[in-house]
Amino acid sequence: MIKLDHVFKNFGPQKNAVNDLSLEVADGETLVLLGTSGCGKTTTLRMINRLLEPDSGHIYVNGKEIRQLAPETLRRNIGYVLQNTGLFPHYTVSENIAIVPSLLQWDKATIQQRVITLMDKLHLPPVEYADAWPQQLSGGQQQRVGLARALAANPPVLLMDEPFGALDPLTRISVRREFKALDELSNRTIILVTHDVEEAFELGSRICLMNEGTIQQLGTPLELLRRPANEFVAAFLAPQRLLLELKTLKIKDLWPWLPHQHGPGHTTALSADQNCWEAMEAVISQPVLVQYAQEQKILDGSGLMQAIAAWKN
Amino acid sequence: METKETLFDFLQQQSGKLLEQTLTHTGLTFISVLLAVAIGVPAGIFISRRKKISGLVLGFAGVMQTIPSIALLGFMIPLLGIGPKPAIVALFLYALLPIIRNTYTGIQGVDATVTEAATGMGMSRRQLLYKVQLPLAMPVILAGVRTATVINVGVATLAAYIAAGGLGEFIFGGIALNNTNMMLAGAIPAALLAILFDWLLSLLQHINIRKTRKMVYLLPLIFLVLSSFYLLPDTYRGKMLAGFTPEFMGRKDGYLGLRSVYGLHMRTLVISDMIMYKAAYEKKLDVISGSSTDGRVKAFDLVVLEDDKHIFPPYYAAPILRNTTLIKYPALAPALNRLAGRINDSIMTELNYQVDYLKQNPETVARDFLRSQHLLQPAGSGKGGTIRIGSKIFGDGYILASIYKMLIEGYTDYAAVTKTGLGGTKIVFDALTNDQIDLYPEYTGTGLLVLLKTPQHVTDSIIGDKQKVYEYVSQAFKKEFDIVWLTPIGFNNTYALMMRKTDAEKWHINNISALTDFVNKRQ
Repeated sequence: MIKLDHVFKNFGPQKNAVNDLSLEVADGETLVLLGTSGCGKTTTLRMINRLLEPDSGHIYVNGKEIRQLAPETLRRNIGYVLQNTGLFPHYTVSENIAIVPSLLQWDKATIQQRVITLMDKLHLPPVEYADAWPQQLSGGQQQRVGLARALAANPPVLLMDEPFGALDPLTRISVRREFKALDELSNRTIILVTHDVEEAFELGSRICLMNEGTIQQLGTPLELLRRPANEFVAAFLAPQRLLLELKTLKIKDLWPWLPHQHGPGHTTALSADQNCWEAMEAVISQPVLVQYAQEQKILDGSGLMQAIAAWKN
Repeated sequence: METKETLFDFLQQQSGKLLEQTLTHTGLTFISVLLAVAIGVPAGIFISRRKKISGLVLGFAGVMQTIPSIALLGFMIPLLGIGPKPAIVALFLYALLPIIRNTYTGIQGVDATVTEAATGMGMSRRQLLYKVQLPLAMPVILAGVRTATVINVGVATLAAYIAAGGLGEFIFGGIALNNTNMMLAGAIPAALLAILFDWLLSLLQHINIRKTRKMVYLLPLIFLVLSSFYLLPDTYRGKMLAGFTPEFMGRKDGYLGLRSVYGLHMRTLVISDMIMYKAAYEKKLDVISGSSTDGRVKAFDLVVLEDDKHIFPPYYAAPILRNTTLIKYPALAPALNRLAGRINDSIMTELNYQVDYLKQNPETVARDFLRSQHLLQPAGSGKGGTIRIGSKIFGDGYILASIYKMLIEGYTDYAAVTKTGLGGTKIVFDALTNDQIDLYPEYTGTGLLVLLKTPQHVTDSIIGDKQKVYEYVSQAFKKEFDIVWLTPIGFNNTYALMMRKTDAEKWHINNISALTDFVNKRQ
């Protein structure tokens, strides 16, 4: 779906902001560009919708080299979410959401319908918010309007630049949860930029960890944890390593190492798709029954711990 | 005792003229602001995209702003002549800076995230400009338009100096004639216009951002309508055109007398005497009101028309001072009187010619003159006190002030300083009565008609006789202001109508009656 091929970009003579970057993002995948500020992740993102032009190399979206398209045409087919939302202060919420469909000259009724659908899905009751001004909304609401605006024209690709970065920690967690649950996002190809490791592991189907304009490692969250490609990756993940593992590891990943215990009276309280963090919360009070692949196991605290230890070795 | 004319009386009498001037004033203001918006907003948009030249453009507009308005009008005359064109261009240049700067600042002030979002969503530059940058910058741009409008209402008063009309005609006429009512009749409406436009534009500026979207289209239309006011009063075309100073326009011994005594009615413009002669020479004007001893009569090949019905009173110049000054500085009067009878009309014209046209320094001209008259003495000690000599803004005044300075320093032990260029009669006379200056050369006619406001029957009885006028003025000034007239210098710098020598010869016009016949026949 999206392919970067030996892309270079620099802003000054000394150092490349993006240095020989190649990667591919598959259809429907969420790729997270992760790294500290100045690592080139935002530059990479902005080159994909041509807010920046690479010095050399090629970028393909949907198999097409993006320079063959007019920038406006390209951008109208890519949703774009910014950290500070960039909502138009002189447009109402519904007008903001309708911007791209209007640019694409959809007819009015269709636009109206689409706006209402999106507002409903993003928990912004149209009756209350359609004619509100962005300044009247909370930060979390504004970010949701920004997301709705990016999704309005049904773009196959979504670029998100620190979409939760401006929110306070509590709001960030709740908006992120909604984001994960949103069906509108499930089939889209998403590239998301963040410096928040936890966010990257929670949202990314794959993570591209960058430093000084180059890729340090590109892989699934588990791959990064299990087989860090180099010292940098290991060091970058080290402070939150245990937390990340617990949140990334799913019960099904541990299945072979979980002890076979049987007992009566336990109800199924966990699915095998839930992660160890959630499992630990559940088993603190009492053991619970987990079902996976026509097999049932009783999970308790010590069993879970042993399984994790076994997985790590 | 005549009852004093009130401002209200004046406004009633002159309501037609006032309306015309107000419309002209409004028109001038809005034509220039409209032009400035038409050029300034695109320029502001342009430099917001090319930051490198923004300094250059803003610098240029800033320099325009710092040029004194009257000087800017002056610069325009060689390029565009007189009348509305140079006035509009000068006003346009004044309005430019606030509009360019506010457009630039307004667009720069749009949140960068918003423009990035707009671009990132696929808006073209044009869409970005019209849908995002301009609407969001609009309050700031409107603030610029508001500033420009208020500035221009003020500066447009000066347009009267270059025959572009407006409320300045009353203001400058009033100052020149020492007529407070006339001055206020111009100044108050001008101030009200400024307040009114400022208020209306402030309403617009603070209107809900959404409604301004429609207002933006309405605004140029309103401006266009207001601009068209300028065209309304312009009903004469292709006829003889006279340019008179504001002072001459309102005087009994000026245009009022020409109308009542000669029956001369012609299309008139108000114009500053600084540019009037040249305008006549360049055929922008056909008849002008000048002063008979002006050096430019000679320089610009004009001819003075004879005042065959004697409406212009004698204007013999003599120094006037407060009586208290004479007592305090007893040596002053003899020194000043050394000039009495020394300068006749032709000498004064020649002196004026040297200053006005040959651009010689008035001091040099004064020194050369005194030397030729064997009156030049080296300066004394200057320890006896300082005499402040004033003058009006005409050539006569500068030269006479310099001559008196040298006489005082040569023949007394007082020091002397000159305060020249004090403007019209009212300003310099007020300076004298308020002890800002000690003496200045005044004309008997001005004393009689302007400063004393002599009753009509008295004026009529003495106006033909220069000696009687001098005596009347001396006595009345002593009584009314405790001010003394010294002996007249000799020349009679009276008003005169003048026209190009070639025209006068072609149409055989040698006096004002002949001009009246000619004008009436043509109409």
